[in-house]
Amino acid sequence: MRHSSVISRRVAAAAVSVVLASGAAACGPEDAGAKGGTSGKAAGAPQKGGTLTVLNNEAQSDFDPARLYTSGGGNVPSLVFRTLTTRNREAGAAGTQVVPDLATDTGRPNKDATEWTYTLKEGLKYEDGTAITSADIKYGIERSFAAELSGGAPYLRDWLVGGDTYQGPYKDKKGLASIVTPDARTIVFKLKKPEGEFPFVATQTQFVPVPKAKDTGAKYEEHPVSSGPYKVVKNENDGEHLVLERNEHWDPKTDEERKAYPDKIDVKSGLDEAVINQRLATSSGADAAALTTDTNLGPAELAQVGSDKALAARVGTGHFGFTNYIAFNPKVKPFDNPKVRQAISYAVNRTSVVNAAGGSALAEPATTFLPEQKAFGFTPYDHFPAGKTGNPEKAKQLLKEAGYPNGLTVTLLHSTAQNRTTSPEIATAVQEALGKAGITVKLDGQQPNSFNEKRWSVKDAPGFFLSRWGADWPAGGPFLAPIFDGRQIVTNGSNYNHAQLNDPAVNKEIDEINKLTDHKAAAARWGALDKKIGEQALDVPLFHPVYKQLVGKDIKNVVISDWTGVLDISQVAVK
Amino acid sequence: MTALTDATAPVAGLPATGAARQVWRRLRTRPAALVSAAVLLLLVLLALAAPLLAALAGQDPHAYHDDLVDSARGGVPYGSFGGASADHWLGVEPGTGRDLFVRLLYGARISLLVALGATVVQVLVGLLVGLAAGLGNRWVDATLGRITDVFLALPFLVLAIALTAVVPRDFPRPLLLILVIGLLGWAGTSRIVRAQTLTLKSLDFVAASRLAGSGRWRTARRELLPSLAAPVITYAAILVPTNIVVEASLSFLGVGVTPPTPSWGQMLSTAQTWFRADPAYVLLPAGLLFTTVLAFTVLGDAVRTALDPREAGRLGVGTRKETSR
Repeated sequence: MRHSSVISRRVAAAAVSVVLASGAAACGPEDAGAKGGTSGKAAGAPQKGGTLTVLNNEAQSDFDPARLYTSGGGNVPSLVFRTLTTRNREAGAAGTQVVPDLATDTGRPNKDATEWTYTLKEGLKYEDGTAITSADIKYGIERSFAAELSGGAPYLRDWLVGGDTYQGPYKDKKGLASIVTPDARTIVFKLKKPEGEFPFVATQTQFVPVPKAKDTGAKYEEHPVSSGPYKVVKNENDGEHLVLERNEHWDPKTDEERKAYPDKIDVKSGLDEAVINQRLATSSGADAAALTTDTNLGPAELAQVGSDKALAARVGTGHFGFTNYIAFNPKVKPFDNPKVRQAISYAVNRTSVVNAAGGSALAEPATTFLPEQKAFGFTPYDHFPAGKTGNPEKAKQLLKEAGYPNGLTVTLLHSTAQNRTTSPEIATAVQEALGKAGITVKLDGQQPNSFNEKRWSVKDAPGFFLSRWGADWPAGGPFLAPIFDGRQIVTNGSNYNHAQLNDPAVNKEIDEINKLTDHKAAAARWGALDKKIGEQALDVPLFHPVYKQLVGKDIKNVVISDWTGVLDISQVAVK
Repeated sequence: MTALTDATAPVAGLPATGAARQVWRRLRTRPAALVSAAVLLLLVLLALAAPLLAALAGQDPHAYHDDLVDSARGGVPYGSFGGASADHWLGVEPGTGRDLFVRLLYGARISLLVALGATVVQVLVGLLVGLAAGLGNRWVDATLGRITDVFLALPFLVLAIALTAVVPRDFPRPLLLILVIGLLGWAGTSRIVRAQTLTLKSLDFVAASRLAGSGRWRTARRELLPSLAAPVITYAAILVPTNIVVEASLSFLGVGVTPPTPSWGQMLSTAQTWFRADPAYVLLPAGLLFTTVLAFTVLGDAVRTALDPREAGRLGVGTRKETSR
């Protein structure tokens, strides 16, 4: 149990970084109105037809639904795979809602939310015309437990009764008893404890139907059977070049979410990020009907785009639920002293930090741990107001009270990756601001791997380091639980509870909120919990990133939700 | 026989002040060399006077100026030429607003210090190993020869990155860079010194010194070292610009000096994406790096010619004699 949970944590981290790499451009609350559902050059209603080109940096090397992590497996897989529930394909905050996909609703819980029942829509078919059954969904989930198909999210393993010991259908033919299929259209999940956010997990690709007769194990990703509007007709170089064409057996009447305007989708990856942005900016030939789902504009590129109005109109803005912060490990001196942590909270200059992260267009100053979106339960607070540029006087006074009248010297661990989140630029901006409060900061820059090893280790984690967190779905649960739940301190693997907080009151509240199936009520409680934990100054929230992505000049119907932060291919039209 | 005497004369005579004067006379007639020397002298002076000049400009290399960059446009400096103004003579760094003039000056200190320091280490180690190989017996020569081969074959950058990554952060970075670059890059010098030593060893004036009863190291010091000066100085002049580039590469890759310490390589590394939005930010460190490397190369070339390598090359006479035997 511990072991499997360790692995899953690690995978979770990897996936979080994948989500980050996949960039993300979701319209934020304030931009949503301005940009709305349609943008891009084009006047006139979006039409069917044409070829959409996707220019990406990273190849889609995993195309097996068992191995994909995020909701719908991200962008391209979500065109091929349908799940029980899915993201609401709307711009901005509306896009954080979970809506039915293969199922008729988002799930019917029993009284204490330990049992969830789904009914499939009628007339659902695979690309070969055969019917999709609830047994196929059960089988799809079961195969995600097989060791050779690892990579998916850890939640089902942790939540389903018997999930921690199940070895997958290849080894254990009997299957998983906690998933019941009373008839071809009904499926029931039995959980160990109440999980009010189960409908969010049902958006993940483990819930994709897989016909047992067509399962080829690890080779299934070479030709996964489509349940969505497109099927894979070409997959070259392990996902570097993909061609998708229409799945004639997909019935739009059963799918309210995917618009599927283009006839063909051509995904080319392995391209340099600067090249992608340059090609989209130039928009010549096929690139006019092109977009990217994983490459954002950097600060220098933004400076250039800003001076060109026509180009600026082709930039989509996204807010993905993500927080970059300074983490403290209170087990290490002098960070055991709350006054020292408070002093640092006061001294931070968020203007410098935001500028280091690419400026106000690419980062928003953060004083809360939760991202600034209702779905997460965002509740504003600023317990240690540093103002726009820091309050070194207040910090000095606190240091004096803490017993450091002459200031102090500390070491800040950061990574040398040029990611503008845990990178030297951010660390230097923190160093400069703290210097004004009499805190001398030495920088310890480490290669990304050793940086992660250190910050995720309970034993070796330093007292003071840069960190970041992104959510697996837009709710407070996957944001606060891994970071502040004392039972999620992992001593022999990747630990994300950097503060090693194990507060019975916090743990209890997390359990209580997980019982709620009303996501609005849960969000309010998560927000209150965040505010309460914030009083302890266990971290210094620095900024939430904003993603900017260019689209080609013929792209219509740009929809960027706050869920993924990435432009949604299923909505885009090229005619 | 006459060829032999002709060849040895200038080389053997080098240590005398007369020869130095002769070299200077030859150098003086080459304007390119003089200009290079002047440029380098100016750079060294500027680097040495960095704190003074920073005070004069009223700027601190680490101070942020959030008000000088346009946060909404990725942090590009306000104004033209990278935000150049009466306060910030060469503009400011995008994103931070740090003064570029003083950062370039302080960067010059690191780049020059590391390059020159590493060259000294390379020359010293190379001389020692080369002399030992040239003067030692067959076994010493073979062993040192193989070790030199290994160092020549090492993937330099990979090893340098690994070394700089494992050394504790408290160790002074410039010294670390000097040691890493110096101790990994001496093999070339050692090869040249060994070859030259073998050649000189068989020459009459060295044999005479040995016959007169001088010990092996005394001979090395008194007779060989002065004659080795020409090729070693020439080679060192090539090493310096190489080392500047190596330091820049390491800093560019993030394993050089620790931020916020500026170095040219570190500046180039952060500037690379800005070449279109803020060309000044890229051109300044790139231009300085280019000028310095060019100046060292031109000067090194001139020194080599002044020391007359063709004459030194004719020392091959001794070798030829051996092969003809």
